[in-house]
Amino acid sequence: MRKFILVTLAIFPAAAVSAHETTPVSSSSPGPTVSNATTATAADVEALRQQVQSLTETVKTLQQQVKDQQAALEKANLTGESGLPPNPEPSPIAAAESSPAADASAPPRFPTEDTSVVASAAAPAASGTPGLGGFPTTDTSVITSEPETISSTGAGGSLTQPITIGGGKNYMNISLDGLFALAYSSARDLHNIEVGDHDPQQRGFNARNTELAFDGAVDPYFEGFANIVFKLDNDNETEVEVEEAFMQTTSLPFNLQLKGGQFFAAFGRLNPTHPHTWEFVDTPLVNGLFLGPDGLRGVGAQTSWTLPVPWYSQLIFASQNGRGTTGFSFRNPGDDGMFFDRITTDREARGLQDFVWIPRWENSVDLSPTQVVLAGVSGAFGSNETGANSRTQIYGADLLYKWKSATAEGGFPFLKWQTEVMYRRFQAGRGADDSFPVAETFHDWGLYSQVLWGFKKGWIAGIRGDYVDMQDSQFTDDLDRQSRWRLSANLTWYPTEFSKIRLQYNQDFLEQNFFLSSRQVESVFLQWEFILGAHGAHKF
Amino acid sequence: MKKILLILSTISVCVFSVQAKLNVVATLPDFGAVAREIGGDKVTVSVLAKPTEDSHFVDARPSFVVQLRTADVLIDGGAELELGWLPPLLQNARNPKIEVGKPGRVQASQGIRLMGVPTTLTRAAGDVHALGNPHFMIDPIIAKTVAQHIAQAFAAVDPANAATYDANYKKFEQTINAKLQEWGATLLPFKGQPIAAYHESWVYLAHRFGFNIDIFLEPKPGIPPSPSHLAEVIEKMKAAHVKAILVEPYHNRKIAEKVAASTGAKVVDVAQFPGALPNTGTYIALIDTLVSRIAAAMK
Repeated sequence: MRKFILVTLAIFPAAAVSAHETTPVSSSSPGPTVSNATTATAADVEALRQQVQSLTETVKTLQQQVKDQQAALEKANLTGESGLPPNPEPSPIAAAESSPAADASAPPRFPTEDTSVVASAAAPAASGTPGLGGFPTTDTSVITSEPETISSTGAGGSLTQPITIGGGKNYMNISLDGLFALAYSSARDLHNIEVGDHDPQQRGFNARNTELAFDGAVDPYFEGFANIVFKLDNDNETEVEVEEAFMQTTSLPFNLQLKGGQFFAAFGRLNPTHPHTWEFVDTPLVNGLFLGPDGLRGVGAQTSWTLPVPWYSQLIFASQNGRGTTGFSFRNPGDDGMFFDRITTDREARGLQDFVWIPRWENSVDLSPTQVVLAGVSGAFGSNETGANSRTQIYGADLLYKWKSATAEGGFPFLKWQTEVMYRRFQAGRGADDSFPVAETFHDWGLYSQVLWGFKKGWIAGIRGDYVDMQDSQFTDDLDRQSRWRLSANLTWYPTEFSKIRLQYNQDFLEQNFFLSSRQVESVFLQWEFILGAHGAHKF
Repeated sequence: MKKILLILSTISVCVFSVQAKLNVVATLPDFGAVAREIGGDKVTVSVLAKPTEDSHFVDARPSFVVQLRTADVLIDGGAELELGWLPPLLQNARNPKIEVGKPGRVQASQGIRLMGVPTTLTRAAGDVHALGNPHFMIDPIIAKTVAQHIAQAFAAVDPANAATYDANYKKFEQTINAKLQEWGATLLPFKGQPIAAYHESWVYLAHRFGFNIDIFLEPKPGIPPSPSHLAEVIEKMKAAHVKAILVEPYHNRKIAEKVAASTGAKVVDVAQFPGALPNTGTYIALIDTLVSRIAAAMK
């Protein structure tokens, strides 16, 4: 029995070796014989003996073949064929002419076949030629599922095949992104000046966005995504955020797609993206103050439909709980149970009106082979917690223009202009138990506009203007209700697409209102980032 | 109501015009050129990347989604060259016909033994492709195999015209076989000679015609040339008597010119993709141009 296992063990590597070449190994499956051998009658033993004998013979012939091949290989190496050492410098590849000529079709002087590069040349070519019109249409899936990645050296290279991350050989792409900033500000309360949760929040060093990203195909029907963010607060305590975790369909008919889980709302351009993809260190004011410091995201479901028209046009419709700070202008109980100075109600959903409903329609056309425009309108509608029947509506419009050179290297040079405008109608109620003296409706609006100029491979210069107009309340002195504007300029260097270093200057102007005096703040940030793991694809 | 009717009629027009011919999308212009040879007048071919731009970094523009949405066949490299931009496009296109494994999807690297497969994966080595060097279409012998896969895919998706695709493939194969004699003869005198290149995208051409292309202006793939590296390159080129530097349209030609000036080599404008150089609309024309330009510089 042991011998038998030994023999099978011996056969396996031998078979594996010979399988490298085109020898027809009819690997007469040792599997079933093993299972039969467990019930040993005399006849079985005899049968086994015969099989062992035949197997031994097979091994011998295989060994001979291996020897022959080794000899052939050595010969080939001597003549200088099949060069390509494992290191990057490709050796003097003497000639395709010398050795492959033997197996290639001899008549023409210059070889027209080369088995060292075309792995499957022999088989399909043979079957392809005779039939007129009858291509072997069957094998495409089989071939596709088995990418040939054996290097042309062949000799034993298979043992050191790399495990690729992002190379399609694994079930999941994993990447880790670290985003850090060194901040200086003339304000001692940088956390009141910067409106985003992942923006620098204190003078000195900040590490507010270390992000693990996972994605992959779940099965033939779904894809899965997850972004887990580790954030160090100003006291260096680690906070964990499930920023996104959702699945979406891959093969619904009629260009439909469904998505469910925790995800960023498709409101405008910036909101659905992760901080490390941003072109500035910090969140635009209007995004931070209307959609929230963490962006508008939450648990929910989304459906989208690409319209069957000749240009790109997509309708997206999502519904989310809209609860907590990630549903900032909606069912957000606020800090210490207060929002816009009202004691919030913080209740369970009463009905559909308490969810946030988020529609979006986006369109894109190519103005020329080098110019693209993308425009969209978005909305977010739901209840808020400042009164019994208080509602919030946010409307947004966004525009992106991009020019990229027809001879771009590494994506440079390019010019990109992006603008988002938002309007918010916020019904501020009388708070829990009608505790606040009046109900009022705020009409707030804001915008940002930014221009990025990638002037040289790896180098981008950017400027941005920000403005937010908050309707004055005569009753509250909430810091979030101060009208303000900001100018930013920055310079970013991408040594490669996996790292960046960015220097940014901000000038903030906070306007006075009934309660708050005006002030100016200057800030400087030095930001740096690294990405490990899977090669992220760049969405437009 | 009228508007809706109008929209519906445009939709139906779109659908019908699409069904008349096989709608083929190729990620890169070389696949597109070969697809045109095989498909002839039975297909319409659209190509996503421009022949002159860096094929590693193409913007995933929304209009590409529209093209992919209605594609019957998609031809991509399958070797991670389009890794940075194709996946989000396919996610948005939601077209089951061109999923991997379907007859409508051709991954050109199938059945090709890629060169330069890294034994260890580290980005310290620059922009390394895990599956091997993906610039394989420049080898005419490989192009034949890719053409065959394309013909098979066309026949599978559009069996009515299978005979045409087969005939076109055979014609393409014979043309390449004949042309290889010509190209081989032209380049024979320069066999074994060294050539410099800006980026490591010519291993397959070197292998085919027996050049020795192992001096690169980029210190590592995708990393811009540094002065110290260029000094080293100049030394090496002088020592090896290199006569030609291969530069692609999107590379910094000035750097190559400087190196050429201090070594006596010539800058040769080459391209991976049909259409990037004048009068190189077809695959054969591209290789013709490359061969004659290289031969001229090596004399």
